[in-house]
Amino acid sequence: MSSLQIDTLAYGSRLRQLPPEHKLLFAIALLLITYAAQVPVQLAIAGWISIWTMVYAGIPASVYLRLLSITIAFWLTSLPALIVNGIDLSHLSSVQADVWQGFTWGNYYVYLSYRGVQQAGELGARAIASTACLYFVILTVPFTEILSVLRRIGCPALLIELMMMMYRFIFVLLQTANQLWTAQQSRGGYRTRKLWMKSLGLLIGQLLQRTLKNYRQISLTLNSRGFTGDFRVCHSRQYQPSRRYSFEALFGCTLLVMLTGWHYVVGI
Amino acid sequence: MLLEFEKVNYTYPTSPQPALQSLTLRIPRGKRCALLGHNGCGKTTLFLLANGLYKPQGGAVHWQGSPMRYDRHSLMDLRQKVGLVFQDPEQQLVASTVEEDISYGLCNLGLPEPEVNQRVEKAITTFNLSELAACPVHHLSLGQKKRVSLADVMVLQPELLLLDEPTAYLDQRHTRDLMTKLRQIHEMGTTIVMATHDLDLAYCWADWIFILDHGTLVLEGTPQDVFAQRSLLESLQLGVPLVFDVLDQVAEALSKNSEQAEYQVTHSIPEQLRNRILDVFRYS
Repeated sequence: MSSLQIDTLAYGSRLRQLPPEHKLLFAIALLLITYAAQVPVQLAIAGWISIWTMVYAGIPASVYLRLLSITIAFWLTSLPALIVNGIDLSHLSSVQADVWQGFTWGNYYVYLSYRGVQQAGELGARAIASTACLYFVILTVPFTEILSVLRRIGCPALLIELMMMMYRFIFVLLQTANQLWTAQQSRGGYRTRKLWMKSLGLLIGQLLQRTLKNYRQISLTLNSRGFTGDFRVCHSRQYQPSRRYSFEALFGCTLLVMLTGWHYVVGI
Repeated sequence: MLLEFEKVNYTYPTSPQPALQSLTLRIPRGKRCALLGHNGCGKTTLFLLANGLYKPQGGAVHWQGSPMRYDRHSLMDLRQKVGLVFQDPEQQLVASTVEEDISYGLCNLGLPEPEVNQRVEKAITTFNLSELAACPVHHLSLGQKKRVSLADVMVLQPELLLLDEPTAYLDQRHTRDLMTKLRQIHEMGTTIVMATHDLDLAYCWADWIFILDHGTLVLEGTPQDVFAQRSLLESLQLGVPLVFDVLDQVAEALSKNSEQAEYQVTHSIPEQLRNRILDVFRYS
């Protein structure tokens, strides 16, 4: 899944006409609730935002689940460290309550811990819920719109110009690298391990050279197009706030906040 | 005369040979000019000088009769009146969406936003970009990028349009679309100069031809006059458009085959017929 494809999906999403501020606010609100809430609420958030992404925005489930599986894979790799504990046989009695399953290995007792399982569950729910919120943003709000929101809320212009240029030229760079890589491969540049290293070195060197050349050309173009020192563009896009989506978002968020609050009260 | 180069010299700092040497070239107002020559003959350098991006190291460039000035304000003014479309659209498109990219030059002129939006919208309809307006630039095909880069420049309503190999990498269909667009632009009163390698295209489209070699102007004139100088063009290894080649071959075949009854008198293609055939291949 390359960044280009993600970008294409964001441009084609069915929630495109909603104002980007609404979508960003919604995702941020859910993210904040995720940090405060307990596991059931977090799972509810993950499920709810996934419906927004897959059903309302029309992002293909295969793509979305594949993206989500990256997070799950990271979570799985951290499981052993969380769940498996080892302890000296002599101290076994002190952790007896925490042992779920275990066996003796030499002088040690290796076991799966109740607390570890619980922690892993909490971590998993929180990780999945918060990445689902982030995926909602990157899959429904094109990067250029995020930038224009940042500009409106008063982010420094220099920072935004830099991000804008990077966003434009990262694709040129990727394409150049890709072309070089293909050209090298078609001439057998990556056949052996030694050649592989040599070709990669060439590729990186060439990429630097071409970047410099590109930089010179870009400054010519910018001048030719009347660059005055600050980078300004306009657009005429019209957004349509949707009553139905706003209502669902507000209602859902209120419910989640109430559930979280209730959890705390009951917990005390 | 719209733009004049008087004995202009320019040498790149890294190159031993001058890119332009004592080049004198005058671009007449209202014409469709083609600039022909080999790679590295100085076409692109000429364009960069015409846009005030480079300063001549010797000689002078005149815009509408007065020498070009290189202060910030004059350059801004010049670059609005002289539009330059670069060969590689990848370099020209700097903003992230088509619409924003077209607005870039207008925003630089400091126009108010409603006017910018109105002119951008008009350019988008003129260049059939409505479906791509909100599209990010990196999603476009090369042909579409070329179209956007032309719209970028034309939205500023320049008096002189410079095109650096506009048909490079374009297929037949896109080339044809481009030529139609250029015809409309010319009819609106814009002078156009196109650098190209395509002799047939130059013959068919241009009404004034410049031939550059090693940074100097070797020949200029109407297409008929220029391409009649076959031996000079052959010595520059440029050749002539296909239609001239075909006519010359036919004439040669006729002169060898003198027994044929119909052409016994002339042994070649009659002058009038030749001119008529040549005219058919020109665009009107």
